[in-house]
Amino acid sequence: MPELAIESIGLRKRYRFWWSGREVLAVDGVSLQVERGTTYGLLGPNGAGKTTFVKMILSAVHPTEGEALLFGRNAAEAEARRRIGYLPENHRFPTYFTGRGMLDFYGALSGMDAVTRQRRIPELLELVGLADWGTVRLGKYSKGMLQRVGLAQALMHEPELLILDEPTDGVDPVGRRHIREVLHSLEEKGVTVFVNSHLLAEVEMFCREVAILHKGKVVLQGKVKELTAGKGYKLKVPAALSEKLREDLAARASSIVQRDGVLDLQFPGRTEVNEAIDLLRAERLEIEALTPTTSTLEDVFIQTVHG
Amino acid sequence: MGNYTLIATAAIIYDTFREAFARKIFWGLFGLSTAMILFFLFIMKIDIVEGALATISLFGKTADREVDLDRLVKQVQAGIATFLYTWGMFLAVFASAGLIPSVLEPGRIELLLSKPVSRVHLLLGRFLGNLLVVTLNIAYLVTGIWLILGVKTNIWTADFLVAIVTTVFLFAVLLAVVIFIGVTLESTALAVMIPVGLMLISPILAQHKLMVRLLDSEWSRQLWKGLYQALPKVYDIGKMTLDYVMDRQVESWTPVWTSAGFGVVVLAASIYVFQKRDF
Repeated sequence: MPELAIESIGLRKRYRFWWSGREVLAVDGVSLQVERGTTYGLLGPNGAGKTTFVKMILSAVHPTEGEALLFGRNAAEAEARRRIGYLPENHRFPTYFTGRGMLDFYGALSGMDAVTRQRRIPELLELVGLADWGTVRLGKYSKGMLQRVGLAQALMHEPELLILDEPTDGVDPVGRRHIREVLHSLEEKGVTVFVNSHLLAEVEMFCREVAILHKGKVVLQGKVKELTAGKGYKLKVPAALSEKLREDLAARASSIVQRDGVLDLQFPGRTEVNEAIDLLRAERLEIEALTPTTSTLEDVFIQTVHG
Repeated sequence: MGNYTLIATAAIIYDTFREAFARKIFWGLFGLSTAMILFFLFIMKIDIVEGALATISLFGKTADREVDLDRLVKQVQAGIATFLYTWGMFLAVFASAGLIPSVLEPGRIELLLSKPVSRVHLLLGRFLGNLLVVTLNIAYLVTGIWLILGVKTNIWTADFLVAIVTTVFLFAVLLAVVIFIGVTLESTALAVMIPVGLMLISPILAQHKLMVRLLDSEWSRQLWKGLYQALPKVYDIGKMTLDYVMDRQVESWTPVWTSAGFGVVVLAASIYVFQKRDF
């Protein structure tokens, strides 16, 4: 069995509000396995329990039940966290630090010696495109720059597991691409990347596996390719069809869109599209294009969360 | 203590210093200390006549009669020790109150907790850093004045330096309260009010021998005694410092042990709460 970077076993978190007697079940028995070296996305609507789950993995929140393991060690042990780098959502880095000072501080907290820290800092500032900003106080940084220096912070001690909470939040499209490139280069080096995000397109582009959390439970998990593959076919034909043929095609298609004298017909499966082709060829009509289509992660997400 | 632990401890202390600098806390205390040192350096002039006798001048006015120099120095030192112990302590508590809630801010604490550092380590590192900021200022002020008085009078009595130890000690006890309020309520205002309240109530509770005679019910006498025993004895330790500086007999060291016990219990409670909390 491959080594697991993250393993949660029946992780549950119930918040009790003693003044009102109310209880909220934020995470309800989540069991996840994230293999070492993979890129994993945790998805879910607001309030699904994603952040609470990540905080339990990091031991910032104590589970009510269950256990979180990092590389096989209980996440509550400080030593288990030595191999991870983390970028929180809505981070608040101390603004009295410069970029260099901040990296130095968090590097030291990770147990790095001064010589290694001084070697790593310029490398990382260069990597995230902030080489000229190292001596500037964080108070002067834009949101996107803070996000990038935050990523550098997470990479300071060359972690084997990177946990990122909304890593491209507030970053412009160029910056997003840059962050994706950095993450891809880490993936190539065998670093496990765990992303918590609501940006489905970003996750689809970057992650190999995903889990969707809804109302505190895992409602779907699997490889992105498998979840989005084999969902149908698109057929392009001239719009000038007889009424009868149009009705026959509509009976088999899941959607029909007409534009610029062309009909775009979407079919749910191979049988339906072959029947449609037979009907068209029987009328000696030409087919302009036939393409297999996959559903986007967004389609999968919407279908999973909203039925 | 492993190498990792030492590096991380130094980083936490350094961070506390950086924050104290950024909040102008360090410079505020340092500025006040420097102002006091300059006051003694330039304003107070002491002219020694035949060794033990002297005249003293303040703001250019000279005392009418000659004074006993040794006694004068002791009185000045006692005055400074008292000032430092009361107002200095208040300022130090006021300056330190925000340093714990700031660390617990969402977005900052999660990142700290994600590092391979235990919660106990984080909290004690912050405690130590805060204590060092105040200790450096107190040591600077007391040593500075001690040197100036020594040079001006050639009287080098080390008793005055005990004010560094007692003031830092009591500050450590009150800092434990600041930290407890910080981790439980995350309120800077309460983190000032409660330690200052303990400072203000201490001279009243210290009158327990008199109050035991005046109170008419047994439970109220026991309550008074209990509060006196349990809470830090700010007044008693201040009086001990004064007695020590003035070469008087220190009646009892018990207030030191009971106050230390209070500090340890409160700090342990802070660690317990911090360990159990979700962030």
